[in-house]
Amino acid sequence: MKPLVDSEILVKAKQNLRPETVRKDQRLDVRYHIEHPLTKDRPRRFLHAFAAILRNNPSYGLALEHYIRVQVKCGRCSVECMLYQATHDPRDVPCYRSSLLLDIYRRYFTLGGRVWGELTGRHDLTDEKLQELAGAVWDCTACRKCSLECPSGIDHGLVTHLSRYILSEIDIAPRALVVSTREQLEGKTGNTSAFPWPAVNDGLEFLEEEMLEEKGVRIQFPLDVEGARFVFFPAVSDFMMEAETLMGNAAVMAATGESWTIGTKYHDGINYGLFYSDRMWDRIVGKVDAETRRLHGKEIMIGECGHASRSAKSGIPMFCGGKQSLPVTNCMEYAYEAWRTGKLRLLHGSIKERVTYHDPCNIARTKWITEQPRELLKHICEDYVEMTPNREENICCGGGGGTVSIDELRAYRTGVSGKAKAEQIRATGAKLCVAPCANCKKQLKELMEDQNVDCEIVGLHDLLYKAIDYSQLEKSQSIQADGVEREPQCLAGVSEAAAK
Amino acid sequence: MNESVQSMLEFARGPLFRFAFALMVLGLVRLVALTLYGAVRTYLQAGDKRLLWPVIWQRTLWVLFPFSRVHRTRPVYTAVSIVFHIGLIVTPIFLFAHVHLLGQATGITWFVVPPLAADVLTIVTIIAAVALFSARISSPLSRELSRAQDYLWPWLLIVPFASGFLGAHPSWCPISYQIMMLVHVLSADLIFMMIPFSKIGHCVLIPFSQLVSDLGWRFPATAGKDVAKALGKESVPI
Repeated sequence: MKPLVDSEILVKAKQNLRPETVRKDQRLDVRYHIEHPLTKDRPRRFLHAFAAILRNNPSYGLALEHYIRVQVKCGRCSVECMLYQATHDPRDVPCYRSSLLLDIYRRYFTLGGRVWGELTGRHDLTDEKLQELAGAVWDCTACRKCSLECPSGIDHGLVTHLSRYILSEIDIAPRALVVSTREQLEGKTGNTSAFPWPAVNDGLEFLEEEMLEEKGVRIQFPLDVEGARFVFFPAVSDFMMEAETLMGNAAVMAATGESWTIGTKYHDGINYGLFYSDRMWDRIVGKVDAETRRLHGKEIMIGECGHASRSAKSGIPMFCGGKQSLPVTNCMEYAYEAWRTGKLRLLHGSIKERVTYHDPCNIARTKWITEQPRELLKHICEDYVEMTPNREENICCGGGGGTVSIDELRAYRTGVSGKAKAEQIRATGAKLCVAPCANCKKQLKELMEDQNVDCEIVGLHDLLYKAIDYSQLEKSQSIQADGVEREPQCLAGVSEAAAK
Repeated sequence: MNESVQSMLEFARGPLFRFAFALMVLGLVRLVALTLYGAVRTYLQAGDKRLLWPVIWQRTLWVLFPFSRVHRTRPVYTAVSIVFHIGLIVTPIFLFAHVHLLGQATGITWFVVPPLAADVLTIVTIIAAVALFSARISSPLSRELSRAQDYLWPWLLIVPFASGFLGAHPSWCPISYQIMMLVHVLSADLIFMMIPFSKIGHCVLIPFSQLVSDLGWRFPATAGKDVAKALGKESVPI
């Protein structure tokens, strides 16, 4: 089998896109900017951070110890890795990538490795090895597809996650992610995109007017409502860039009459900590938890975003109180439950174009959310098709693991790591691809553009917004408002569709 | 000459065998015990103790019984690998000669495979081992991944199979039966002693892999803060 990507394109995509001066300053030949080029003593600082992490988190020690014992180096993972499929470079095999860290672990943190290492002087950690690791773990999107096929059960995504964490502690982390996280945790705006609240607020008011105009019903974004069932945290980019998704979210909540709110103090679901640092992961979910508790919300609802959902779903109970922590729901789970129980009425077959569904890795790989959006789509779409493979075996969009936020990587993401996805979508012939994830959406939009695939990338709620039976909403809102049932006043177009 | 070979054979299948076998069993017990200890320790400290049991079970069963997934990726390689593993496990444990010896020593016996089936299994295992080695050495991908032990193990495992087969068929045996048996027993002893200290430890560890990988994501609630403290970064801005 040939690699998916020609060697010429590969060389071009792998070229360093930064000015030479920056690279000299970093003393690190990777394809992304880092911020603090402290070049001195990197290997020693790396080992110091590695030791501190192992000491304070037994999970990593358990996993690494197990992996060095069971790793049989069979190479089966290569078949699952979209990166290897694109390049056929042995260094892109997940097992090889994981070995970069596992070898360091074996050399410095196991008795045999230490003795052997001291005796032979081989396998010592060098700047070159760190550079290879730093490049490899940011080429990988940590999609964890390889873990499905590994007969030894190695979760290469976990090894990538840990590698990035240790590297970040010696200031080797993509500038794009660090700057966003700094703004989210320490900046004035308190969100990764640095949107000031007045701008977000204006945007929401505009969307409310838009919905009134389009659907003839008043749908609101309730702000700072205390005691609501759900406090809503979308990926903050949705507020400005994915208006349709956000309107869909509001419409679903309004149509089902459920109490929900958006906190004015904190409203960003994005959590780059999942991508590069457990310390940041912890602090960010702490803010989500604090805002929900400030508003006396009963549940945390995360918008259409794979990593935001996973980082909250596993991070909130992990870092914020275990069994006593607040429940976390993804908005698609809610929409599906509401539709299944009859609370949400959707017009059957109201989307005419051919639609396909892309599973975001972070919500599909463990089968958390795979069927819910499909059931909704099968109901509202006239021509729904699957891409293969799908569900927990989906192919990553090529921009996972935070790499989509690193602009320097664009040529690589759309030319190499996203190549398999582009062909997969092209093969469906779909005009609309539903990708319920802010990261996947950005990557897939760039991918469709760069790979010339004629397919529009949308969110699930973009389509729900179009498919909701607004007559029901008008009714429930009227009852809510004054207790008197009124005739629904909906737009002619919607009534016609309903009649069909 | 014959006597010294005989006495070496007695030693190899007597004290040396008992030592090698005990070392293997204890070594494997140690591996399992360490893994379970680590798993329990991680679990007890985990901030969120609700493991993804359905996923853990399903994937563990996939790995242990991969038959339904043969066709999925690299079907030929997978099929050969499965045959190889079946041969490695079934042949020595259910071979008449082995069970008979065990019965003589301990009184415990069990089901044995017919001689012809044992012969076929042995030959198939040897062919599979050679095929796996060839696959490893012929692919640039595998060569990049492989360590010395990855090349060594197929040959090491072939030795007791080949010598056992020739020993059981004296008419095909180019050297004396006793020397062949000595090679057979010594190589098996060596393998037993190496198992717990090499990648073959996976024979007892694989059932725990999915559990370990799930626990790998279950950090203690204070892990982030503790690392910050240990690195002196508590009040350092991002």
